[in-house]
Amino acid sequence: MSAGEDVAAAAGPEDGGAHGRSVLQLEGLSLSFGGLRALSGLDLEVRDEEIVSLIGPNGAGKTTVFNVITGVYEPSDGDVFFAGKPIAGLAPHSIARMGIARTFQSLRLFLNMSVIENVMAATYGNTKAMPWESVLRLPRARREEREVRALAADVLSFFGQRLAGYRWDQPAYSLSYANRRRLEIARALATRPRLLLLDEPAAGMNPAETHEITELIERLRAERDVAILVIEHDMHVVASCSDRVVALDHGVKIAEGGFDQVASHPAVVEAYLGRDPEALSDAG
Amino acid sequence: MSLDAPPPAPRAEEGPQVGADEWVARQARRREYLPSWLGRAQRLGDRVGWWPRLAVAGLAAAALPLLGLGGFQLQVGIDALVIALLAVGLNIVVGWAGVLDLGYVAFFGFGAYGFALVSSGQIGADGIHLPSYVSIPLVMLAAAVLGLLVGLPSRRLIGDYLAIVTLFFGEAFVEFTNNVAPGALGGPNGIVGIDPVSVFGHKITSNGGYYYLLVVVLVVTMAVLRLLEFSRTGRAWRAVREDPLAAASMTVPVNWVKLMAFAFGAAVAALAGTVFVAQQISVFPTDFDTPILILVYAGLILGGAGSIAGAATGALVVMVIYDGLLRSPSDSGYLFYGLILLTLLVKLRPWRRLAVVLGACVAFGFAAHAIAAAISARAVAGGPGSTGWIASALHDWVIVPANATVAGNYGFVALVCLLIALVQAGPRWRTILLVPALYLASFVWETRLVTEPAITRQLMIGAILIVMMNARPQGLLGQRRVEAIT
Amino acid sequence: MAFFFQELVNGVTTGALYSLVALGFSMVYGVLKLLNFAHGDLYMVGAYVGFFVIQWFGGPTAVSIPVPLLLLIMFVLAAAVVGGLGVAIERFAYRPLRDAPRIAPLITAIGISFFLENAALLLFGAQFRVYNTADFISLSSGITIGSVTIDSVQIMVLVLGLALMVGLRELVNRTKLGKQMRAVAADREAAEMMGVNVNFTIAATFFLGSALAGVAGVMAGLLFNQVTPTIGFIAGLKAFTAAVVGGIGSLPGAMLGGLLIGVAESMITGYAPPGYSTYTNLFVFAVLIAVMLVRPSGLLGRAQLQKV
Repeated sequence: MSAGEDVAAAAGPEDGGAHGRSVLQLEGLSLSFGGLRALSGLDLEVRDEEIVSLIGPNGAGKTTVFNVITGVYEPSDGDVFFAGKPIAGLAPHSIARMGIARTFQSLRLFLNMSVIENVMAATYGNTKAMPWESVLRLPRARREEREVRALAADVLSFFGQRLAGYRWDQPAYSLSYANRRRLEIARALATRPRLLLLDEPAAGMNPAETHEITELIERLRAERDVAILVIEHDMHVVASCSDRVVALDHGVKIAEGGFDQVASHPAVVEAYLGRDPEALSDAG
Repeated sequence: MSLDAPPPAPRAEEGPQVGADEWVARQARRREYLPSWLGRAQRLGDRVGWWPRLAVAGLAAAALPLLGLGGFQLQVGIDALVIALLAVGLNIVVGWAGVLDLGYVAFFGFGAYGFALVSSGQIGADGIHLPSYVSIPLVMLAAAVLGLLVGLPSRRLIGDYLAIVTLFFGEAFVEFTNNVAPGALGGPNGIVGIDPVSVFGHKITSNGGYYYLLVVVLVVTMAVLRLLEFSRTGRAWRAVREDPLAAASMTVPVNWVKLMAFAFGAAVAALAGTVFVAQQISVFPTDFDTPILILVYAGLILGGAGSIAGAATGALVVMVIYDGLLRSPSDSGYLFYGLILLTLLVKLRPWRRLAVVLGACVAFGFAAHAIAAAISARAVAGGPGSTGWIASALHDWVIVPANATVAGNYGFVALVCLLIALVQAGPRWRTILLVPALYLASFVWETRLVTEPAITRQLMIGAILIVMMNARPQGLLGQRRVEAIT
Repeated sequence: MAFFFQELVNGVTTGALYSLVALGFSMVYGVLKLLNFAHGDLYMVGAYVGFFVIQWFGGPTAVSIPVPLLLLIMFVLAAAVVGGLGVAIERFAYRPLRDAPRIAPLITAIGISFFLENAALLLFGAQFRVYNTADFISLSSGITIGSVTIDSVQIMVLVLGLALMVGLRELVNRTKLGKQMRAVAADREAAEMMGVNVNFTIAATFFLGSALAGVAGVMAGLLFNQVTPTIGFIAGLKAFTAAVVGGIGSLPGAMLGGLLIGVAESMITGYAPPGYSTYTNLFVFAVLIAVMLVRPSGLLGRAQLQKV
């Protein structure tokens, strides 16, 4: 947990701050689907090794933010900067190679591939062996294959006994739900990201598993040197591991700051719980 | 908002229960196998490993002619191997990358025509006669480039549209070779006088030679593809098939990977084309028409899309039956009745039930025949279409009227309806309906199908596609796939 | 100039035919997201039904009932038989695969198409069956404008085609069934939860689409005279082209596409230098590729968004 920052408006330029340089910067980001404004003028900043939580009611546009960052959608207006470089409009696989990885709200594993193959597949963009090199077992291909395997083993071992060795050759569809969520995070880690986008990592988990996820997120930041942007609904997770919380509603940022500040912010309370009817009748 | 106390930390974990979880995983694996002795054979095969299996299969195929196969059988073998090679190539595009390419046969044709143009007297005064070790790789490379071009629309088109565009490309190829540049391409008369393939200076001119060449080519291609399957490219293909969006988010360049699948598939098809055309010494536009495409697909689906061995095996099985049905009526009768009996043996358990059904069928037949004969002599005037001992055995069992054709036609329609009813029925009715269905099948065979083998085998191909997709989409040797419903 | 208009008339007439087939194809795609490759073969079955009706009533030279009645029976019977066949195919081949990955029903459709063609080959033989329309419909009673002739068969095709297209449009836009069809096409699960009988709606869609194809088959027999088991394949390809060019899933698109393909074909066959008329099909394919690359979702189609 870090010192809470003040409720911030737009993020400043790359200043030192408590967490070093800016990894991700959204400036005035807007996205419309026909007449529907999914995002309006969103400013957001994530710094190195920071954990920022993105909260908001359903339909607020949180996953849309992820989709724009990773290149699935192209923004109608505004910019996205990754480590200072503009990335809006690039193809998803290029953005992934640059160092942004994500998980999905509804899992998108490669179900019919084995656990370790899921992880190894994510290393494609960071390896170079050509098909004929693989077939002829040329040195570069062999070396890369060894490295990829070692990387996958390393990433999977991060989850300890959960994704233990004997599971590696089993098809992904044989994993339990919680393990599937972990595998998705493992797969994202295999791309050696600098920024990790976790979309509701604790969805559908019981309290014990949720606690594990919270610890996992902190360990990720500590051991893997990644900045993390988390979408979450479970406030226990948000409270215990975020450095900063950003609240969205209807595509607009309505609050930013430490957890307590944001949680008690009137706009956030209203977004989640609606306006107090007594206050309404008093005013009107 | 305020929070309750955070949830308690979980109990200290000893890790997953190795005895329990691993056992569960193994049981799940066991259910993938076919039942009874087929499953045992599969498990034995799995324990042996893929490469020894390939070696054994290759040696067996090579040894087959030594059993004294005649000219016709050797030709069947050659055709089967060519289609198997095509199926293995198609597997890259359809089974691994998950792209439905309905124009695949055009690459086969491209390889064939390409080789023909550079290895015959067609172009120029004396023609171009490149040596095989130059022309074959050249043609394969050109086909790969063509594959890249054809795959380009996949960037902008979603799956269904791409299927249509490739279908048109396939059709366009046939029209093109039929109509365009008749001087160079030979028009409907094609190109003749194509040079044989030469390996290390030795020209292959006999069917036996081409058979061995094809066995070697098929085995080597399967080996290369196996190595590719577990390489970075193979993983990328399979990831793209599973979930293109997730793959893209995980650094996989989806469009490029699909293009590579097209290119590799095209190269393999072209390779098949070159050997095919060298053996035939001629090439015609009709060699690459839609029925061939459907044949390759039938083989791939039957064997199991996604599995190299499945593709090859399925294609070999389909071709053996396909060509086998073209033989003399008595031999095709063996095939027909043999297949039916085999299916019953595998599917109808316990065997006591099978015996009852067969017995009832025999009784039913004799009774029906007797009744029909009593009613009208014309009703049984014809003889079974088969020849040989099957025909004499069936003579008093199956009703064959004087005007067999018309009756057979009605019987055909009735048989299709009965088979559909059979599929929809519950288990008891299914066993009961099986008896008239078998009899009707024999009736239709003897009156119509056996006399029209060319049509019958096409019907069988169509039926394979329909039945396999409904009953066992992963094919005989494939793994059952789990799909996330999106 | 007159030549141009004559070719235009011919093109519009065949275009109407392609539109009918393309409409059925598009309808089915709309509700099931399935490319029904067997659709062209349903058109072929319709043509055969028409042929056998003529034979049943005495053959083209000695028709035993008034010609309008004969035509009525031909069309109605073709619609009913082919519609029923379509429903049966949907029920037994496509319904079990409704939640299977997209490739499964596509391959099944290919299998059914192949099976139908060969079944027709088996049952009806490969020889040409001829309608000999001129023997029972007096072609001279048409309209002549200047030197452009629209003969009576063409008029009938145009009128009937137009009537069917208008009728279909009214059905889709104004009736309850049409609303249900649109709902199922938009989101099948949601429609089911709103009380729509999805199975019935899909079956009805198949019936209508197949019936249209059947009617188009009879028209084809009357216009082109010859019926063989393979006419469905080429017609199917052209109907796909028309539906895809117009924007698959869009009914106005199918109509537009059909018209375009018909007219384009006519113009090429008419104006192509001698010896090049065999390139018609190739040109149609080229048109398809061009449209696909420039506007991937067709001329009137809508790009489909995917929820991530």
